[in-house]
Amino acid sequence: MSAPGMPPRDREIDPITLSTVWHGFQTTCREMRHLMTRTAQSFLMAQLKDMSVGVWRADGATVAMPEGLLDQFLGTRFAIADIRDQFDDDLRPGDVILTNDPFHGGHAPHLPDWGFIRPIFFEGKLEYFTLVRGHVMDTGGSFPGGYFPNGFDIHAEGLAIPPTKVVDAGSERRDVMNLIFNNVRFREEMEVDCEAMIATTAFAERRVHEILESYGAATVRRCIDAMLDRTERAVRAEIASIADGVYEGASATDDDGTVLDEPVWVRVKVIVAGDEMTLDFSESDAQRPGFVNRIFAATYGTAVGSAILGMDPALADYHNEGSLRPITVIAPKGSVLNCEYPATVGGSPVAVGEQITEAVTEALSYARPERAIAPWGKHRGDYTSGLDTRNGRPYVRTSFDYDGSAGAMHGFDGATGPASFGCLGTVMRGNVEEAEVRFPWRVTKLEVVPDFMGAGRWRGGGGVDWRALNEGGPGRMATGSSDGDEMVPKGVLGGADSPRSRTFVERDGELIRVKPHRMQDLLPGDLMIKLSSGGAGVGDPRERDPERVREDVAEEMVSLEAAARIYGVALDPETLEIDAERTAELRAAAGPRPAIVIDEERLTVSLEREA
Amino acid sequence: MRIAVDIGGTFTDCVVEDGATTRLVKSPTTPDDPVRGVLDAVAKAAGAEDPAAFLGRAERFVHGTTLATNVLLTKRGAETGLITTAGFRDVIQMRRGIRNLGTSMFDQFRPPYEPLVPRSRRLGVAERTLATGAVETAVDEAEVEAVAGRLVEDGCESLAIGFLHSYVNPENERRAKAAVERAAPGAYVVCSHETLSILGEFERFSTTVVSAYVGPAVSAYLGELERRLGEAGFDGSLLIVISSGLMQTVEECRMRGAELLVSGPAAAPTAAIAAAAPLGYASVLEVDMGGTSFEVCMIREATVPTTREAFIGEERVATETVDVNSIGAGGGSIARIDGLGLLAVGPRSAGADPGPVAYGKGTEPTVTDADLVLGYVPADYFLGGELRLDVDRAEAAIAELGAGLGLGAVETAEAIFETVTTSMANAVTEVSTKKGHDVRRFTMVAGGGAGGIHGAAIAHRLGIPSVIFPLSGPVLSAMGMLTMAVGQELSKVGVWDRLTVAPQQLEEAFAMLEAEAREHFARLGVAASDVALARSLSMRYLGQFHEVRIAAPAGALDAAAVERLREDFHACYLELYGYSLPWRGVEILEAHLRATAEEEAAAGVAPPGAAVAADLEAARAGERSCLIGGERREVPVFHRDRLGPGHAFEGPALIDSEASTILVPAEFAARVDERLNIVLEQRRGAGAGVEAAGDRMTMAS
Repeated sequence: MSAPGMPPRDREIDPITLSTVWHGFQTTCREMRHLMTRTAQSFLMAQLKDMSVGVWRADGATVAMPEGLLDQFLGTRFAIADIRDQFDDDLRPGDVILTNDPFHGGHAPHLPDWGFIRPIFFEGKLEYFTLVRGHVMDTGGSFPGGYFPNGFDIHAEGLAIPPTKVVDAGSERRDVMNLIFNNVRFREEMEVDCEAMIATTAFAERRVHEILESYGAATVRRCIDAMLDRTERAVRAEIASIADGVYEGASATDDDGTVLDEPVWVRVKVIVAGDEMTLDFSESDAQRPGFVNRIFAATYGTAVGSAILGMDPALADYHNEGSLRPITVIAPKGSVLNCEYPATVGGSPVAVGEQITEAVTEALSYARPERAIAPWGKHRGDYTSGLDTRNGRPYVRTSFDYDGSAGAMHGFDGATGPASFGCLGTVMRGNVEEAEVRFPWRVTKLEVVPDFMGAGRWRGGGGVDWRALNEGGPGRMATGSSDGDEMVPKGVLGGADSPRSRTFVERDGELIRVKPHRMQDLLPGDLMIKLSSGGAGVGDPRERDPERVREDVAEEMVSLEAAARIYGVALDPETLEIDAERTAELRAAAGPRPAIVIDEERLTVSLEREA
Repeated sequence: MRIAVDIGGTFTDCVVEDGATTRLVKSPTTPDDPVRGVLDAVAKAAGAEDPAAFLGRAERFVHGTTLATNVLLTKRGAETGLITTAGFRDVIQMRRGIRNLGTSMFDQFRPPYEPLVPRSRRLGVAERTLATGAVETAVDEAEVEAVAGRLVEDGCESLAIGFLHSYVNPENERRAKAAVERAAPGAYVVCSHETLSILGEFERFSTTVVSAYVGPAVSAYLGELERRLGEAGFDGSLLIVISSGLMQTVEECRMRGAELLVSGPAAAPTAAIAAAAPLGYASVLEVDMGGTSFEVCMIREATVPTTREAFIGEERVATETVDVNSIGAGGGSIARIDGLGLLAVGPRSAGADPGPVAYGKGTEPTVTDADLVLGYVPADYFLGGELRLDVDRAEAAIAELGAGLGLGAVETAEAIFETVTTSMANAVTEVSTKKGHDVRRFTMVAGGGAGGIHGAAIAHRLGIPSVIFPLSGPVLSAMGMLTMAVGQELSKVGVWDRLTVAPQQLEEAFAMLEAEAREHFARLGVAASDVALARSLSMRYLGQFHEVRIAAPAGALDAAAVERLREDFHACYLELYGYSLPWRGVEILEAHLRATAEEEAAAGVAPPGAAVAADLEAARAGERSCLIGGERREVPVFHRDRLGPGHAFEGPALIDSEASTILVPAEFAARVDERLNIVLEQRRGAGAGVEAAGDRMTMAS
């Protein structure tokens, strides 16, 4: 089952050495993340974990990929190929290469994702690469932090660093780093985080060396071949168990931030043939004027990672290049999923990155209903910058606190907690208390809103109401990482869509609506309000166990009205006892399912009135 | 006389230090009434003496129990409610993210997390304290009373109070607590600032809720234990092991349920230090392999390490806890073939019931079955012969598993042994490398019922040069309880400017903590002169999210002393992470004080002497057929009771005792020291490195 051109392998490798080496690489990646969270100072990297790590073979094959953001690391082999081309014989032990460029051989999803890549040599031979990529505090450009719309071209989005040696055989190239740091904001903070990333690649090198010293490079190579083959066989068996055919999915973002209020579509055909799968995005929209364009490596990473999601959870800890081999991704050049220089790409990790995951999981939900996953709440992010009047220093802040929750899966409700589909639960929220110490915003609310999710036989996790008061100076916010005011997470297998989300700024008693992909000025005393819907549902809500509906009402996750009108479950308003007879009547009566809507004056969430 | 009792999943261990002699006893745990098991163990230890007279002679009774952990993991805690800042009732449900740590991002098909307190019992009240400590909205006591009343009406017997920023100003929480106590007399009430005064509402609220959840059961159990020990004749001081590795009175523990969650394992590292320190070892890896779990603790400078980052099951518990890492690998761990065709061992365990196949009931092969088939475990002397093991049954089950791998029974048993050893070795590596330390510079102290057989194999795998098996190894935790100190950990979060904190402000913070500690010990009747105070500071580079604990000097602090602390921080950071940033500002976040009562430590296990054989040959109990280096060999078996100081021999060998067996692999030499520790040293092969035949590990030069 091995791909042609692969080196011959020893099928007799002993299983104990194999699993020891396998776990050794997995553990290395987990420890790298741990090291980053302990040493970075960026809220985004250390607390929210917007970063990725991994180990690749010298030929670019993925050895270990236990954790990260799909677009930040699953397509790293493209960067490795170009780095090997560019540097040829000029790679040496102790080198570290920095790149954040989506184009010119960097293959970064967007400019704020700085990746430090270290070649790992052993006994004089290039054996592996390791990568640490994190969303840094700033990358220059016309607004701090990233995710701002309307850049003229990629250069307006910030400093673009093609693969560049920043550490040469162990010594830092200070003039190069000085040039780079001179072109970004928060220089000292950036230096701390870059040191942490470089040190983490050095740590990975030490750990990989330990494995190589223990077993020898040849044995480790054979183990990796065996790892990749075993995973490939398992993934091929998973694909083979899906009926051959073409399954379609589609999702759109609200707009591209430049051409306003015009949705941008991602469309996929998942073609299953035997034990191989093709994800064909050819019918997606063309490259856009606005910043939702995605480079191919990022499209590839998100697409294959999303396809893996529905596979046997027993494989979850073991994915590697073998999982990727049977999957082909097609996205024609010049499309929004394979954009060309000098396209703007700043918003693309969210839009259209999340749309890729939504489209692929939708298509696979038709292919394998028993592994259906409904889309999660949309990311409702923003980058807010301004002056912290407590210390006179500028700040840039972003967060995941205000995101809705996970979508349902076949068999399980979605979890309630900050989550967006592109991140798959890898990112975390910060503590309100920590955020209040660091940023001049006082959080006044972070609470689940009843009914504010997609209903279903299995329902999505709860949507949230998040509010914070600006206690600092004037500032601006970029809502480039938000989505979902118009285009909502779609329910699958008859599950309900998640409701629309909204963001407002309340100023002097007036509500100013702020759409995704916009810029908004902020004043002292502004109250920012985010009503972020939860995940979508799986299966018809009228098939949900009435007892679970009763529990949801008791828990104030679902209203009595929604229980009756959406789930078809009649409860006594006082005792919450189930009225079985009335429930049977409600469930038998066919009728349109009422939508969940936000009252934009009172900021409440309720069921659409009966017609 | 001092008595220590540790209740484990299968056995209740008891150690008695009686003048110059020490007794070690294992007795079955009685889950339906754990106190009965405690009294049984004491009676067994009393031997011929009247148990009441025996207990009456004890000045101190130290106890560790997994009760709180069991209550938490089996969800049998109190009906609990949470009163919190309005608008933040879902903090404990949202946690810091939707996935538990350690779960793969590709493993989504899992039920959503369910908090210990359901949403309908998490109620907000209007109140707010700011990050500066200023009270923006004072709590309305009438509202709190009304809310508490509703929760009690709904059936809550335990109430947690968690307000934002209470770590800097607990005023609102204090007033709310008083109101709750008025509205809900008899309820168990805990506040977040009392449970754990740290910044970070999720960790603080979560820990407080866990404390409220397990607290009533803990309180009832400790009350019961105190009463029945008294009735049985005990009138000394009863002390309970807490997670931080110290001991506390029953009264202090009753409102601190979360601090009993690691009550048992927290004691073992202390015993390991006591065993290793006299031999001159300060860097120790303490490993404890029991029936279901393997625990490892990395000890540096003879100091028990603690952490605030623990999860117990799905619950985040952020109290200062002995940093013991646990994985599901023990004698009862079940071997199976996973989805990728690889042999996997654990984390599922056959436990005490049905137990390993060889016990006669179980059907899935376990590590103990493999150890038996390999000849390491004696079939006729397991637990001193109390339990006869069925070798044929174990071998049949292992053969069946092996068929799926194309391996015979013995080869499969070997693979199980190797696999579980690898898992444990990885756990050791993870613990040490996470902190940047090379395991090969450490000495291992191995304990637990199965630690004797697997300890040296792990050490061999990792290149750890020597392994100590203390006489108390099989009851390591109980032994540790005799060498622990009474005391507490106190912390103060600074409200000072973290970068430019003045020496005087630190001084004030320490003075406050020291006054609190002295008051605490005064209540226990300990003289101020007998209280040892150890200061430390949490420091980090400006803006980071994790701190490094740096020891601070006693006495007055001046600017130069603070500067030295910053230098210590740079050095410590460099050692931990491989780089430092001398140009970056260093923040000081918290002042800590560890206050302990100074007293004479227990002497450790004294040699009973009587049974010791005159020469090594007389200590031999025969031979056993074992698999060593892939071959069946007749291996000499020694009886531990007959081994005495000066006895020395080379592996392969086995050492049987009533409570456990020690395997001395071929690559090790064993000797017995004055304290009757068995000390194994890896034999030097060719050159300086370990390059024994078939050895995969090469030591770095």
